[in-house]
Amino acid sequence: MKASEAAIAMQNGAPSAGQAWRFPADPLFRKLTGGIALLVAATLLAILIALIGEGWHALRVFGWRFLVTGTWNPVSGQFGALVFIVGTLISSIIAMLIAIPVSFGIALFISELAPRWLRGPVSTAVELLAAVPSIIYGMWGLLVFAPRFAQIEPWIDDHLGAIPGLGVLFRGPPMGIGMLTAGIVLGIMVIPFIAAIMRDVFLVTPAALKESAYALGSTTWEVVRHVILPYTRTAVTGGIFLGLGRALGETMAVTFIIGNSNNLAASLLMPGSSIASVIANEFTEATSDLYKSSLLALGLILFLITFVVLVFAKLLLLRLERGAGSRP
Amino acid sequence: MTQDSFQERIWNPPAAVPPGTGGTVAGGRVTVAPAAKIRVRDLNFHYGRFHALKDISIDIPEKRVTAFIGPSGCGKSTLLRTFNRMFEIYPEQRADGEILVDGENILDSRQDIARIRARIGMVFQKPTPFPMSIYDNIAFGIRLYERLPKPEMDARVEQCLRQAALWDEVKGKLHQSGTSLSGGQQQRLCIARAVAIKPEIILLDEPCSALDPISTARVEELLKELVRDYTVVIVTHNMQQAARASDYTAFMYMGELVEFGDTATIFTRPSKQQTEDYITGRFG
Repeated sequence: MKASEAAIAMQNGAPSAGQAWRFPADPLFRKLTGGIALLVAATLLAILIALIGEGWHALRVFGWRFLVTGTWNPVSGQFGALVFIVGTLISSIIAMLIAIPVSFGIALFISELAPRWLRGPVSTAVELLAAVPSIIYGMWGLLVFAPRFAQIEPWIDDHLGAIPGLGVLFRGPPMGIGMLTAGIVLGIMVIPFIAAIMRDVFLVTPAALKESAYALGSTTWEVVRHVILPYTRTAVTGGIFLGLGRALGETMAVTFIIGNSNNLAASLLMPGSSIASVIANEFTEATSDLYKSSLLALGLILFLITFVVLVFAKLLLLRLERGAGSRP
Repeated sequence: MTQDSFQERIWNPPAAVPPGTGGTVAGGRVTVAPAAKIRVRDLNFHYGRFHALKDISIDIPEKRVTAFIGPSGCGKSTLLRTFNRMFEIYPEQRADGEILVDGENILDSRQDIARIRARIGMVFQKPTPFPMSIYDNIAFGIRLYERLPKPEMDARVEQCLRQAALWDEVKGKLHQSGTSLSGGQQQRLCIARAVAIKPEIILLDEPCSALDPISTARVEELLKELVRDYTVVIVTHNMQQAARASDYTAFMYMGELVEFGDTATIFTRPSKQQTEDYITGRFG
């Protein structure tokens, strides 16, 4: 480290024998970029501190029961996060149930099955899905998707609702909007992120490894199932968690279509609320300090959930990068 | 028949004449020239627009080691990869002509690709153990074709590992990952995996280029064992390896088969100037 710094300093004309002083461009540039990078970390920390500070009032009043209380009543000043935590998790789980298999299919098609000329266009189309602003998804979900979905909800109610036990998840009035609708639209929104990572890691699976499996007479599916997936499982999991992180924090689209009900309902056809949607809906109406503090405490919870999920995703992706060098 | 007139007739120029009609000296031992296992006729190969193999015709003798030598890019690996249609997983690659294995044209698209590949095993340049245990690396290929009860599968795995001279080194750790083995062991694992599905032909694409000299020697010994049961075709960069380990040698240059004959003759009295220049190190 010392030696390389000395070498850089010499290159940039630090006063060495017989040379005139020159502007220390490189050291300055390093400090500047380093400072900017630190600023990002500092911002993250500042957000965390601000959220804790602002949410402290609510957390002190309600204690840990804030997490497990299902009542959210601004009039009586009773606040609990349970409905929104559950709504956030359920809508994200539905999104993942849809996005994971679809993304897997897309990635598989692009990396293994598609003729070369089709790979580029399909890849680009999937990536463009990520470029659609979430408010557009929200409007599309509310004005286009929900009315059509409402037409098949009676069918869901009749058929899936009749399943003993699980049926309770699928009973309800055909409103179009609700937890299931939000989950489906969220799923569509996170597909590009998951599909892109899966495609990239499938493509970096060594050709020799795939060929070895094909050389034994495996079908494409057998190669994928037994060679590509085990080889890439860490990164695939990382990609899934990255998508989950996005789904958890998505606000606009969910606010449009989740139904914004503060009651906990067993059925996925019923309206609900997520942490992000309740904050978006109620922040301007928060009149009392406790109300506002409760919303910020909700924000803190969302921040922590998302943070944990993303850190987990990064760790998994990092492990693959490190492992890649040592693999054959 | 004298050796010279035999070579005149069979091996020189590049043979399209069926062998099996006389005796020859191969690798210093007198043998009866074996029947051709693979007959290649007028094979042309394209990578997109690049014409990589030009009118190749060659007869690969059964239960012998045949080596393909030549400078980088001469098409030797390409030729090898046509024998199990490996090129097919890449859409822009194309082969025309005939490759007859026991008289059946494997390039015929009506042939079942999985069945062809089950008959023709392949070992690659770099060891490619699958991301699973040593045991499953072997069992994977077997399970594609056969449902064996556990004791039989165990016996088969052991037999394959013994054939690849690996059993003694791995018998205590069959359920560890295949990637935990050393490079040489991994390559022998890949050979064991290739023989596990009981192929008739084993193709080796520069199998020793990533191995140290000791592992290379072990793999070469192994070839001598394997050739009792299998037809072996090996691509190698290393001329000493071809001289040591093969019975027949084909020299390729710029997508053409320049000369093909028994290894002793190719290395001592090549008939083409290009071959002589290459093996004496004047180019390549």
